[in-house]
Amino acid sequence: MRYQGYAGKYLEVDLTTASIEERPLDEALAESYLGGNGIGAKLLWDRVPETVDPLSPDNLLIFSTGPLNGTLMPNSGRMELIFKSPLTGIYGDSNSGGFLGPELKFAGFDLVVFSGRSPNPVYLWIEDGRAELRDASHLWGKDTFETEELLQKELRDPGIKVALIGPAGENLVRYASVQATTTRSFGRAGGGAVMGSKNLKAMAVRGFGPVRIADPERFYEVATKAHFGIRKNDIYPAVTRYGTPGIVSIMNNIGRFPTKNFQLGGYEDVEKINAETLREKHFVKDIACFGCPVGCDKIYRVDEGPFAGLTVRSFEYEAIGGFGASLLNPHLASILKANDFCDRMGLDVISAGRAISFSMELYQRGILKKKDFDGLDLSWGNMDAVFELLDRITHRRGIGALLAEGTRLAAAQIGHGADHYAMEVKGQEIAAQDGRAQQSMGLAHATSNRGADHLKGFPTIDETGYPTEAERRYGQKYLPDMADPRSTKHKGFLIKDGEDYAAVVDSVGTCKSGGNFVLAQIYWPDVAEAVRYATGMEVDEGGLKRIGERIYNLQRAYNALHGMTRKDDRLPKRILEEPNYQSTPEGSVCRLDEMLPEYYRLRGWDEENGLPTQSRLRQLGLEDVIARLGPKLKP
Amino acid sequence: MRIQLNPEKCTGCQICEEFCSFKHEGAVWPARSRISVLKWEQEGIFIPFVCQQCERPACAEVCPVGSITRNEKTGALEIDGARCLGCKMCVTACPFGAVSFDPDRGRAYKCDLCGGDPECVKMCPTGALTFDREEKNALARKRQGAEKLAKYIEAIGR
Repeated sequence: MRYQGYAGKYLEVDLTTASIEERPLDEALAESYLGGNGIGAKLLWDRVPETVDPLSPDNLLIFSTGPLNGTLMPNSGRMELIFKSPLTGIYGDSNSGGFLGPELKFAGFDLVVFSGRSPNPVYLWIEDGRAELRDASHLWGKDTFETEELLQKELRDPGIKVALIGPAGENLVRYASVQATTTRSFGRAGGGAVMGSKNLKAMAVRGFGPVRIADPERFYEVATKAHFGIRKNDIYPAVTRYGTPGIVSIMNNIGRFPTKNFQLGGYEDVEKINAETLREKHFVKDIACFGCPVGCDKIYRVDEGPFAGLTVRSFEYEAIGGFGASLLNPHLASILKANDFCDRMGLDVISAGRAISFSMELYQRGILKKKDFDGLDLSWGNMDAVFELLDRITHRRGIGALLAEGTRLAAAQIGHGADHYAMEVKGQEIAAQDGRAQQSMGLAHATSNRGADHLKGFPTIDETGYPTEAERRYGQKYLPDMADPRSTKHKGFLIKDGEDYAAVVDSVGTCKSGGNFVLAQIYWPDVAEAVRYATGMEVDEGGLKRIGERIYNLQRAYNALHGMTRKDDRLPKRILEEPNYQSTPEGSVCRLDEMLPEYYRLRGWDEENGLPTQSRLRQLGLEDVIARLGPKLKP
Repeated sequence: MRIQLNPEKCTGCQICEEFCSFKHEGAVWPARSRISVLKWEQEGIFIPFVCQQCERPACAEVCPVGSITRNEKTGALEIDGARCLGCKMCVTACPFGAVSFDPDRGRAYKCDLCGGDPECVKMCPTGALTFDREEKNALARKRQGAEKLAKYIEAIGR
């Protein structure tokens, strides 16, 4: 490998035969896809065809770093996990902060690719260039906190970094998470179930080597400029002080805070669960991921009541939305408890919360009754029933077995119009991000390659109106619409650019939230310079954009292999037809069809089938996609 | 002068380790950083640890060839790499593990205060590391301790 920034090697682990192979990282692969979700998508495209069941041994589970992981660039601790999703049946990835990505590179590897299925529970131990599979029978069934502690003792090193599953992953809950160093999560799309299906309990990593840089002097300049830029950014103080919970009140004010399973866009008891209350009642300390000057992560503690003594880390806006407003639950302590439960059991907080609010609405509508819920009273806000239901989901007991399938599959089995209340796109549950109050967010959910997702298009510029950032990024000509959450104009452009940029950020290994989207300081030219000087690769802003577009198109093509077309770029009827009166007095819905044509046009995709055209694929160097999808594609 | 440690402000981000190793090794290499953040992740306790440039330095006293001397301008105890035998006595002698051994170069290394402008301090985003006159640091800590009292006095209207 002639490029720096990379470790230059990766591990191929076949769990069926218990064989571990070290391979050189292909330079051409790095040039075309960088790393992270780019290389992951390419491996999935090459090796996991449409016939593979996501929970079968033939699926891959790919832990993937990028060339900026563990470098001086701010928040360089982010890492990707790529797999075919058991929740959506299509391309799946998930991203976690923390320390695992850098540690893997310090240990000498860019990626770890798991295939097959071990006959008995195992974990992978990687220590400074060496790797071995070890028995994990004694860890199976243990929660993530216990497992991490046992691994630290067993490996006699408190500094190990781990990725691991809890009981939810073992029990193949379709939205089980993979937890990283305990409370950071590869939350979305069900990677934990894939890991569980492989009988892989954990991966523990320790490394003592360097990450080398091609042009140290220039790279240092780019990195320090980014660090100080972030620290001087207008919203740095707020993000640092409150983290993601800081937006609870802001979202509620614009009617963009999904309440009662999206029946409402705002919550009357919001003051009881907003960031200010959270800080006042529960804040203990700021903590940060690797190399992050922001430190949006916090430690919170509950001092009184039934959950006294509970300490929770990595508690985010989504938990407050999902287990607070969406369930009409105004008690912060119980929201913290639900978050803690999900972390310990290895459940995606977003999908788990949405499975519960879906259940509560079915109960409200009388589609499912007390007896269907094993005697639980699922009235809005009844958190005792929520904890019981979460436990049943984790262990697939009673009604939990059905809800563990995700809301789409559960609704299909329940029938009686239940699908109307399943707030999902392509099978993945929608986060606490209402596309009726922010048009571009609706488009982002519809077009994301891993099902409903706010983090692929990641439209922040028009969320609450950032006209200065909008002008800095896109120029005067797109204003005022670009910064207006209610306007559909230019939003196809915003989402296309966001998706391509997010694909790149998720491939180099930095944080979308900490420097690129929420704190919108770093952008294409900065990342292009950082990649160029870190790796020595000849890549400029245009080249980087092409890589982002290539990655996004390849993921789309992968989904097309599984039969996805334009008809799947849709939203729940509620978002398209049921007005949100907290957003505007006259009520607003997502006007998706006003945005999609612009989006497809800019993407170079056919407007009828929603698939990349052959000519666009050729421009992106994706000839093998044409070879495989040929007849489906327009010229 | 020394790098003053304020563990209560440390978020555990390891930016200090990144920039220290980059300055001295030309690579991001926490394992070779002169400064280390010791972590108790679950409890959220992070303690940055670096040579405090002792007034009676055990490392210098045990060095058989006198290769560790004080830079009078910066106050740093510096290791003369050319004279270092690689005997590791300084590594053993330091009660805090602030001196390390580089097996590639065959010699000991420690914090040299970057010639008077430490990278770790420059890049620390939270003030967990400071580099100032001792007197100023002592006053800052007193002020921190007195904060509650100040609020109390304000509340009761003096």
